Amino acid sequence: MPDDQRTGDLGRFAEPALLVLVSLSAGPKHGYAIMTDVESFSGSALGPGTLYAVLARLERRGLIEPLGPEDRRRPYRLTTEGAAALAVQLDEMGRFVRTARSRQLDAAS
Amino acid sequence: MPLRLVQLLLAAYPSSYRERYGAEMAAVLEERMASWRDLLDLARGALDARLDPQIDPPRVLAAAAAIPPASAPSPALPVPRAPYGVVASAPPTGELSRRVFMRRMLAAGVGLLSLEFIAGTLAFTWPQVRSGLGGKFGLGTPADILAIQPSWAEGWPYPYTKARLFLINVPAAKELALGHQASVKSPSADQLLALWRKCPHLGCQIPQLCESLKRFTCNCHQSTYNILGEKLKTGPAARGMDRFEVSIGDDGGIVVDSSKVTAGAPNLGPDALTFKDPFPWDAACH
Repeated sequence: MPDDQRTGDLGRFAEPALLVLVSLSAGPKHGYAIMTDVESFSGSALGPGTLYAVLARLERRGLIEPLGPEDRRRPYRLTTEGAAALAVQLDEMGRFVRTARSRQLDAAS
Repeated sequence: MPLRLVQLLLAAYPSSYRERYGAEMAAVLEERMASWRDLLDLARGALDARLDPQIDPPRVLAAAAAIPPASAPSPALPVPRAPYGVVASAPPTGELSRRVFMRRMLAAGVGLLSLEFIAGTLAFTWPQVRSGLGGKFGLGTPADILAIQPSWAEGWPYPYTKARLFLINVPAAKELALGHQASVKSPSADQLLALWRKCPHLGCQIPQLCESLKRFTCNCHQSTYNILGEKLKTGPAARGMDRFEVSIGDDGGIVVDSSKVTAGAPNLGPDALTFKDPFPWDAACH
């Protein structure tokens, strides 16, 4: 495996990558569908340049995979690795939220 | 929508990227009425793809990798325990990949260059020189000058090298040029003249008065001036010597402001001179 494939840090694409993974966890989607879906559930717009930068990175890391093209559009779906990585990340975030909430409650009482 | 611009931006992506994603990106951009923000995003994406194209190595390798090695039992999927906000695993600790290194060097270079540019631009708004030629000079009181050069009271110009000037004691100087003995020890401000020693012809430094005529003659082309710096017949200079503004401060010190220069009077013939010495109009020092 080439070194840069493992070089995992997504930098400024970390957050949009999470949004894309969440969007694909509901089922395969092509680019435009991902954009509208992300916009509807998160409220933050995802530009086409960012979207494809993220798709390329996720694909390279094996977290998503392309399906056969339909017309010119190509749907993507979450791989098992992708689903696992998303689950881990959501767990971490869940813990983070619980910790933050409990501290908030401690401070309030 | 500026379709041409979209095509142009897509063309800015590296070819490997275009082959793989070009068609679907074009489809997305057709479906979505691309806004200016999208175009900006696209430009940024193109730059990003240039710096770090995330395209797989040739498919052959991918196909080979897809066949699981029979011997090795496939290990449990290593799930990266990523910190918040990071999806994939972190790079091996302490190592800087070539790509990251190159990117940082590029960013540092561009940053340094723009910093230089900004600093250089801002430097122009800095205050002008306040010392050296162009600033103000305190020459001391007339008594201080006389202590250095007693002949100043008799009209000999006092050379002040820091400002490249001759300080002329006008009433005494006139007497000197007329061949009389004078002694003017404290001239007032309007009796002082600060002549810039830079010849108005080509800028040579004008030497001290010549003994014979009590005139200034530039060594370069023999431009000749009377003791008050007015241009006489000889030499190519088109005007008299330039003057700095002179004043006398509250403490009696003479102050020359070398940022305030009055150009010498133009050559208008012998009748226009404010002072005539006894020598012929066309005589020059030798």
